[in-house]
Amino acid sequence: MSDSATTQRSAAGAIVTEDDVIRVEDLRLNFYTALGVVRALNGVTFNIPRGKVLGVVGESGCGKSQTGLAIMQLTPAAGRYEAGQVLFRESSEQPAVNLLQYERNSAEMREIRGNNISMIFQEPMTSLNPCYTVGAQIEEAILLHQTKDKAEAQQRAVEILRKVGMPNPERIAVSYPHQLSGGMRQRAMIAMVLSCNPTLLIADEPTTALDVTTEAQILDLMRELQREIGTSIMFITHNLGVVAQMCDEVAVMYLGRIVERATVEDIFYDPKHPYTIMLLRSIPRLGVNRAMRLESIQGSVPDPYSQVTGCPFHERCPSAMPGICDTIMPEEIIVAGSQTHTVRCHLYT
Amino acid sequence: MLNFVLRRVVNMMVLLVVVSFVGFWIIQLPPGSILDVQMQRLRAQGGNLPESQIEALRQRYGVDDPFLVQYWKWISRSLQGDFGTSFQTDQSVAERIFNRLGISIGLSLTALLFTWLVSIPIGVYSATHRYTWPDYVITLAQFFGLSIPGFLLALVLLIVASQLWDQPIGGLFSTQFADAPWSIAKVVDFIQHIWIAVIVLAVGATAGLTRVMRANLLDVLNMQYIQTARAKGLTEAVVIWKHAVRNAIHPLVMSLGTLLPALVVGEALIAIILSMPTIGPLYLDALRSQDMYLAGTILVMLSALLLIGNLLADLLLAWVDPRVRLD
Amino acid sequence: MATVAEQLKQSRAPKKTEDVGSIPQWKLMVRRFRQSKLSVIALFVLLIMYALMIFGDFLAPYPHNELDSNSAFVAPTKIVWGPQGPGVYGITQQLNQELLKWEYTEDPSIIYPIRFFVTGHEYRLFAIIPMNVHLFGLETPPGVTQKVFLWGADKEGRDLFSRVLKGSQVSLTLGFVGVVLSVTIGSLIGTTSGYFGGPIDNLIQRLIELIRSFPDLPLYMALAAALPLDVDILVRFFLITIIIALIGWTGLAREVRGKVLAYASLDYTNAALAVGASHWYIITRHLVPNAMSHIIVVGMLAIPGAIGLETALSFLGLGILPPAVSWGVLLRDAQTIQAVVAYPWLLLPVACLVIAVLSFNLLGDGVRDAVDPYG
Repeated sequence: MSDSATTQRSAAGAIVTEDDVIRVEDLRLNFYTALGVVRALNGVTFNIPRGKVLGVVGESGCGKSQTGLAIMQLTPAAGRYEAGQVLFRESSEQPAVNLLQYERNSAEMREIRGNNISMIFQEPMTSLNPCYTVGAQIEEAILLHQTKDKAEAQQRAVEILRKVGMPNPERIAVSYPHQLSGGMRQRAMIAMVLSCNPTLLIADEPTTALDVTTEAQILDLMRELQREIGTSIMFITHNLGVVAQMCDEVAVMYLGRIVERATVEDIFYDPKHPYTIMLLRSIPRLGVNRAMRLESIQGSVPDPYSQVTGCPFHERCPSAMPGICDTIMPEEIIVAGSQTHTVRCHLYT
Repeated sequence: MLNFVLRRVVNMMVLLVVVSFVGFWIIQLPPGSILDVQMQRLRAQGGNLPESQIEALRQRYGVDDPFLVQYWKWISRSLQGDFGTSFQTDQSVAERIFNRLGISIGLSLTALLFTWLVSIPIGVYSATHRYTWPDYVITLAQFFGLSIPGFLLALVLLIVASQLWDQPIGGLFSTQFADAPWSIAKVVDFIQHIWIAVIVLAVGATAGLTRVMRANLLDVLNMQYIQTARAKGLTEAVVIWKHAVRNAIHPLVMSLGTLLPALVVGEALIAIILSMPTIGPLYLDALRSQDMYLAGTILVMLSALLLIGNLLADLLLAWVDPRVRLD
Repeated sequence: MATVAEQLKQSRAPKKTEDVGSIPQWKLMVRRFRQSKLSVIALFVLLIMYALMIFGDFLAPYPHNELDSNSAFVAPTKIVWGPQGPGVYGITQQLNQELLKWEYTEDPSIIYPIRFFVTGHEYRLFAIIPMNVHLFGLETPPGVTQKVFLWGADKEGRDLFSRVLKGSQVSLTLGFVGVVLSVTIGSLIGTTSGYFGGPIDNLIQRLIELIRSFPDLPLYMALAAALPLDVDILVRFFLITIIIALIGWTGLAREVRGKVLAYASLDYTNAALAVGASHWYIITRHLVPNAMSHIIVVGMLAIPGAIGLETALSFLGLGILPPAVSWGVLLRDAQTIQAVVAYPWLLLPVACLVIAVLSFNLLGDGVRDAVDPYG
């Protein structure tokens, strides 16, 4: 076991490495709304090793975006963190700090946002402020975290725009967002988040709203920059094709929990959780018999206001075992013969 | 840009011509004419009126002319700056209107400024502190502000002020200052006379705009770019004031177009209570006495004010929001 | 690892909460509406006000125009508990020679009893059933003309309580009817304009632009001034309603047109067209339901404005004219500071107006939040 030196189990039972950029442990997040309590995250535990790309996949509403927002404490005001820790380690030399100990809008949290941890959002069309030029919005972050010199910030903004492959960065810098295409805006967003060389980049479906060609370009760009700067990435998506292309490791989320966690190879070639297996079967593949039907997952995600007893997936699970799956919540266990592959399913206990 | 303004001005001119035509038509709708009112008054004063004098009046006012001729006489004279002679007082219409329009516009601009200065910060506070008790208090206060008739508020303020200190009642100046040259004492006296009118005028609009500001800001705060701004590590104050307010301020800018004339006339009721020499009571008087030259001119002037206000609002909007293109 | 959270979860787990997804839309709306307490209170206040209005003639002890020179500016009568139940003291009137003002003194030795379900002036309940029974009245011996003035009397000695009730019949209905009319006109024209487009749309848009080039209140004033003076009260009521409707529809028409334009380009409309649905079918089944909630909300929020408008016009002497009464007419008595200081009860009609308008504002706001929680 060559991995045994670096991987171990944390207090919450998760697989961790010695140098994790972020380590989320038993994170619980509830929203208190007029119609009742929404349990968005029900004990999320995962880690991102330094320099790696973790893909977080799942259906809409499974809590993957909320996990990203929670790390930065950008959760909407109605949300309350009920339990858990978000341990962030800026560099290998520094100790990990629990980000949840800071107030949401405290100076400590703001110093981390944009500087150490950055985030890209799904909608490039609306993620830039329409009232300010692209350059001004990039400079804002640089002025906040890097330098107080306006001329230098301006110069850096143009440089970073060139770096993300903008054809005419000087002109782009003085353009307003509505004058750019979706792909260009996402490039501008990437430029903005990379302007301060963050340790961790959270990308929330950054290419979902783009067409396939643009998507490929943006993914290439992110991969390239990741190699160059060494940023770790939490890549939130529902697109398994993108996961295969981008990620080193994958966490599959279902109803506010991570149900399977493995390297990208293990997820694609040796999936364990029935949900993961079904997700994989629902994507079309080249070279597979055309007559074979694509499978869709039966049923839909349970209503977020209600609470399901037992395994949250048992109602849709083809292998559900009556008496077990609908009563007992499965614990996260390590798959036999692996050091890094964990799953939450009674089939493997 | 220049092109846009030119096209809008031309469009405005055309609209004004149609407005003046329709306005004049509405004003002369009531049966009978100013002449009947006038003759009744003269009869009441001096008994019988000789037939020759009635005829002279008829000629002068052109009441027997067909509508189009009357309109043409009025509009062609107006374009030469001669707004006619008021039936009622024989004073020139221009003189009467401009005296009072100046005061009205001044009052309204002050009220507008007051409205903006109050409704933006309160709206922002209310939106960012949603569902807290200050928000509920503000909300309730807004509903009262929207629901209390202006003249009632004017009365209450007058009563309170005259109980607490020596509040002058009525007019714009105390008698000793009326014809005096401007001095600090005169300015103080002026402010003492108009503060109630300004507040009363502004209250309804302030309540409305605060509500709009709150709703808009709540919408804007849900936008992705606000998350982006927060994710940059900006302080909440910068996020709100720099990124959110600028995007939420459209209706306040647009309000310039509609509020100004509304305020100019809205003071009609208040001006009656506070006996202020503004355009509102003059218009009401002209309508009541069927003084169609005067009433028609005021109506068209107010329309012009509305259209100019709208144009200004559009230009201001383009300046605030780069997405609004002027071409 | 049985953590605290784990135990918590187990204790919560058994009570399976209601499935929100399966609740019908209107029930969700009612639920959201009931959450805003102020709106619920406002709804009850309005229901009470309208009930008082409907039974106004029964509740009013005197005809609203009955003059009484012996009772000019009588303050609200004090109700006392006498030997025969509730009653009022006898009141004598004398002229204050210095102030030239009528003054009234109570005589505690005389108590006139208040009687319930007494016969009084004739009226028609709900404008149909002829009746002469009133909820209450004062029993006085022959030759004594004293009255019970719950809310005092105006300068002609008319009972303000009766006048406010009578006035509510105009003020609470005129604005409402005007808004219903203008909303109907606005949505019809807006839908037509948006759906058919082309020259019809162009014409309608120019018309709207023209109407909106006039400042509101002056235009209302000019039109109201143009109304004939010598018509029946009811006719004048409807003419003013029509004026309110004729100008008020433009804003809604624009909004509805915008909505229709947006819906018309949506996929489901195209899908309906593709499967052969008729224009009428699309308008009634797709466009109207989609715009309906918006139309209702706009209408609700327009009512207080319309009520205020009627009041303002009547106050200016251009709306409802005496001898007919509306709250605006009653406000004319309260327009000078001297009158209000001397006879503060003259502000009671204003209080009614404020309460009604405030309630409509709150109600409209609650309905909007309930119908469109995200808008």
